[in-house]
Amino acid sequence: MSRKLSGLGAWVLQRATAIYIGLFGVALLGVMLVSPPTDYAQWRNWFADPLVGIATLVFIVSILLHAWVGIRDVLIDYIKPLWLRVSLLALLALGLLTWGLWASQSLILVRLV
Amino acid sequence: MKFAVSRFNPDTDSKPHMQTFEVAVERGMMLRDALLEIQRQDESFAFRHSCGEGVCGSDGMNVNGTNRLACITAVSDLKEPVEVRPFPGRPIIRDLVVDMSQFYQQYKAVEPWLVREDPMPEQEILQSPADRDKLDGLYECILCGCCSTACPSFWWNPDKFHGPQALLTAWRFLADSRDQATEHRLNELEGPYKLFRCHTIMNCVEVCPKGLNPTQAIGHIKHLMLRQGV
Repeated sequence: MSRKLSGLGAWVLQRATAIYIGLFGVALLGVMLVSPPTDYAQWRNWFADPLVGIATLVFIVSILLHAWVGIRDVLIDYIKPLWLRVSLLALLALGLLTWGLWASQSLILVRLV
Repeated sequence: MKFAVSRFNPDTDSKPHMQTFEVAVERGMMLRDALLEIQRQDESFAFRHSCGEGVCGSDGMNVNGTNRLACITAVSDLKEPVEVRPFPGRPIIRDLVVDMSQFYQQYKAVEPWLVREDPMPEQEILQSPADRDKLDGLYECILCGCCSTACPSFWWNPDKFHGPQALLTAWRFLADSRDQATEHRLNELEGPYKLFRCHTIMNCVEVCPKGLNPTQAIGHIKHLMLRQGV
């Protein structure tokens, strides 16, 4: 991560993703309140819609970036030993990547199977 | 009135302890007066103070959990027993006297002076009244240290994070129409530490005895960075 991206870049990214996560959350809540999918077939159909699929993919990426910046901030604040900080950051990156790939995989499978 | 003050003698103590004093309160008495009375009872008690009217910024301390200036804090407003401690997070030299070196180093780091690229005019550098107004709420800082030593981000990284006081000063010069080092100042503030350790906790705003708003100044710096960067 470049020096530029760790200061202003990270700060802007955190705010931009926060707005998207907020909007997506409200939209999701709206759908669940107005016409919630009642069975698995309906869930699949809903996620198979290209618009929902793309919006959800952007949501997944937003969560990953937002969580990375936020948790990295906490680690920079409190974790002083370099080896421990780097280990925790690596663990975080691995965890986020795993979750992100798993979530994206579900989205893709919905369209393929 | 009961006062519990923090005592620490570097020659004999390994850590600070509280000592209670009884002070007869007079009408209009400020905390500084009470501390002076405590000093009369025990002359080994040390604390910094000078002007006695909230101008010099020498007698900043932690009173009942809040950083404030003793000289403009009326004892009648305080809950008993009044607990007086040194600024949190700073190395204690003796009793209420702390080492503020890092705080001054952070102040120095933001280059708190006007930088001109143009040749200096023979007379003063003129400024419109509107431009001068932009410095209100910024130039009044007395460097008492109440804000920075109340800031958790400064507690964790006092060597790398500038802290609210220095960042307020950074904005004071960025906002000055006579200053010509905007680019340089903004570049100096880049990176994860100097500016961006601020998480808008706003303890600084709450404790500033001059009613200044470092959090807002920090927000202005971030927005200026964004405007210059996009």
